[in-house]
Amino acid sequence: MKKINKKVHIKQKFHKEENISGWLFIAVAMIIFFVFTLYPVISAAITSFQKYKPFGSDWVGWSNYSDAVTSPLFWKSIKNTVLYTLAVVPMSLLLSFAISVMILPFRKKTQSVFKALYYLPGIASGVATAVVWLWLYDSSPSGIFNRILGLFGISSVNWLSSSKTAMPSLILMALLSSHGSNIIIYMAALHGIDNTYFEAAEMDGATFMQKIRYIVFPLCKPTTLFLLVTGIIGSFQVFMNAYMMTGGGPDNNTTMVGLLIFNNAFSYGKYGLACAQAIMLSIVIAFLTMLQFKVMGDDVEY
Amino acid sequence: MKMKKVLAAALTGLMVLSMAACGDSGKSSKEDTITIMVPPVTGTYVEDLQGWIEEYRKDHPNITVEVIATSWDEHTNKLSTMALAGEAPDIAEVSYGAVGTYVEMGVGVNIADYMSKERLDDYDQNALDYMTMDNTLYGLPLYITIQALGGNREMLEAAGADVQKIQTQGWTYEEFLEVIKNGTKEGCFGFVFANSGATTADFVSIFGVAAGISSNFTQDLKYVYTSENMLSLLQAVETMTTSGYMPNYSVEAGQRLVMLETGQTMLTGKAMPLFESNVKKNIAGKADGSAVEGTIDMEYVFLPVPTMANATESVYGVVDGLIALRNNNTTEEHLKNVCEFMDFLSSGERAAAVDNAVYLSSVCESGRKAQESFTLDQSDLNAAAVERAITKVIAPPAGITAEMNANAKTMMDETIVPKFQALLAGETTAQEVYDTICKDAKNLFGEENCASGWIK
Repeated sequence: MKKINKKVHIKQKFHKEENISGWLFIAVAMIIFFVFTLYPVISAAITSFQKYKPFGSDWVGWSNYSDAVTSPLFWKSIKNTVLYTLAVVPMSLLLSFAISVMILPFRKKTQSVFKALYYLPGIASGVATAVVWLWLYDSSPSGIFNRILGLFGISSVNWLSSSKTAMPSLILMALLSSHGSNIIIYMAALHGIDNTYFEAAEMDGATFMQKIRYIVFPLCKPTTLFLLVTGIIGSFQVFMNAYMMTGGGPDNNTTMVGLLIFNNAFSYGKYGLACAQAIMLSIVIAFLTMLQFKVMGDDVEY
Repeated sequence: MKMKKVLAAALTGLMVLSMAACGDSGKSSKEDTITIMVPPVTGTYVEDLQGWIEEYRKDHPNITVEVIATSWDEHTNKLSTMALAGEAPDIAEVSYGAVGTYVEMGVGVNIADYMSKERLDDYDQNALDYMTMDNTLYGLPLYITIQALGGNREMLEAAGADVQKIQTQGWTYEEFLEVIKNGTKEGCFGFVFANSGATTADFVSIFGVAAGISSNFTQDLKYVYTSENMLSLLQAVETMTTSGYMPNYSVEAGQRLVMLETGQTMLTGKAMPLFESNVKKNIAGKADGSAVEGTIDMEYVFLPVPTMANATESVYGVVDGLIALRNNNTTEEHLKNVCEFMDFLSSGERAAAVDNAVYLSSVCESGRKAQESFTLDQSDLNAAAVERAITKVIAPPAGITAEMNANAKTMMDETIVPKFQALLAGETTAQEVYDTICKDAKNLFGEENCASGWIK
C-alpha cells in the first residue's frame, strides 16, 4: 500500500513539474496577450460606458452606444467600409489568384523575382505610398493621371475631391498596392497541390480552365478562406488610405469606421464614444468571420 | 531599552524631515522638471528655445526643461493623445480654438491662480480673451496672426484693382469679384484658396469675414453658421467655382503659394504678412537655382478679405499661444514653476523674436518694447495694411463654454467641411449645404441657440 502511494506521489510530482515547465514555456506569449490584447479590450469595454477624462471619468451607461447608433455619420462610415470591402477583398483575391497561377509555370528563380516585385509595395511605409498616390491623383491638369487623360483629349478628373471618383480612387490604390502577401500565400498553396492530379487530368483530356475549376479551386479553398477572413478583417479596419488621401471627404464619402473612431478619439477627445464604436466594429467583424466559416468552412480542415 | 531606540529613530527621522522642509522655505529651490511640447512656431523656434532655456536656468538652476519638438502635422493629435493618457506636457503650443478641447478633458489649468497681476497686465487684454474660456484664463498668447489674402501687384493692377486703396480702405465683394474675373486668364486663376482636407475649415473661417462672420458664435452666444450670412458666403463660393475664377479641385496648402509665385494665380489665401519674405526669398533663389520652377518676378501685396453688402468689415485673427496642462505628476508647487517659465517664454525678447519672425506686432508690452530696435523687411504699404488689419480683428465673444467650443468643432469637421468640399466640387448647391448645416446645428445646439436672419 505504502509502495503504491509513493508511486502516485512521484507521478503527481512529475506532472506538477511538467505543468510548471509548460506554463513557463507559454508565459511570454500569455503575458503579451494579457498586457497588449486582453487588458486593452477590457479597458476599452469599460471606457465605452464612460465619458472619459484623464482625471476621473463619468459613468454614462449606454449613452455612447446610443450616440453611435443614432449618428448618421456612423452608419455612413459603415456603408463606406462595406462598399470598400466588397470591392477590394474579392477583386484582390481574384487578382492574386490569377497572378499566382500565371507565375506558377516559371522556374523557381523567375517565380521569386515576380514574388519580390509584387511584394515590393508592401515594404514601403503606408505614408510614403500615400504620398506617391497623392501625386498620381493630383486634381490639377499637371497631375500624372490627368496628364495621361490629357493625351487622349479627356479633360482633368477631380480624383480625390469628387464624390463620384474619391472612393473608386481609394479602391484602385488598395488593389494595386496590397496583394503581394496574398500572392505569396497562394503560391505556397499551389505548390502544395500534388502533380499527379494534373497528370491524371491531362490524361483525361482536361482543358486549362477545367483543371483550375476542378483541381486548383477546391484544393486552394482553405487558403482562399484564410485570405478572405483576414482580408475582410483588415479591410474593416482600414484607416491609413482614407486618413492620408482624402481625410474622409468629400462629404464624408470616404470616411471609414476606422477613421471615424480615430477622429472621435484623437481629434475630439471623445474616447468613450470611440471605444463604443470600436467594440461595435469588433462585434461586426466577429459576426462576419463566423458567417464566413459557417458558409465556406464546412469542408475545410486546418 | 527597545522603546528608547524606536523613539530615537523617530526623532532623528523628524529632524531630517524638518531640515529638508527648511530648505523649501522662501523661494523654491527644489529640483523640478518642466516638459514643453512645441511645433516649429518659427523656422528656428526649437533652436531658439534651447538658448532661452539656458538663459532661464541661470536664474533658476533647480529647473530642468525637457523639450518635445513636434511637426505641425503631428502636433495636435500627439498632444491630445498624451493629454488623454494623463501624460500631457506641462506646457504646449496651441491655437486658441483648441483650448476648449483640453478644458473639456479636465487638463486645463487656471494660470491666473499662479501668476501675479503685474505679470498678467503685461499682456494685451484682447489677446488674453482668446485664451479665456468660462472666465478662466488657460494660457498666454504669443501672437495674433492675421489671415487674409495675398496677391501679385502687377496682375492685380492689370485686372483693374487699385491696390493702394484696397490696402488702406478695404474693398467690397462686388469689386473683388470684378477683379478676379478680369484676372482669370488661360493658365492663371483669378483666385486660389487652399481647400484640401483640414484647410477647408480655414476657407470657411477666413473668407467668412466677407459675410460678417468673425467667430463661431454671435455676441449673444448663438451658433453663427445658421445665419443668412453663411448662405451668402456659400453662394459666393458657388459663384466663384462655377464661373471658373477659382479651381473646382482641391488645392494643397503648400500649392497655393507656389501657384502665386509661378503666376498660376493672381490672388491667394490664406495669406499672411510673412509671405512677403517667402516670395522675396524665392525670387532671390532664381540666381542659385533654389527657386520654385517657373518663378516669376512679382511684388507681393497683403490684402484684406472683401466685405459683402450689409456686413461690417473685419479680419480673421487667430491667437496662438502656450497653455499649461495638468498631468499625473502635477503639484501646486510645480504649476507655479510651470507658469513662471511659460510667462518667461511668452514675453520680452522671446515674444519679440517669435513675432519678428512671423512679421507681426507683439501682444505684450515687454515684447513690443523689445521689438522697437528691429526693422522688418516689409514694404510700407504692406506694413500699413497689416497695421490696419490688426485693428479689424474681432475677439470671440466672452462666455463661450468648452462644450460649445467642442460642438462647434464637431459641426465644422463633420458637417461644414464635408459639405463645403462637395460645394467646391460642384456636386451640391449653396442652398442644400446651408439647409444641411441648419438641420445638424439645430440638432446639436438646439434651435434656440442657433442664429437666424442676417447678423451684423
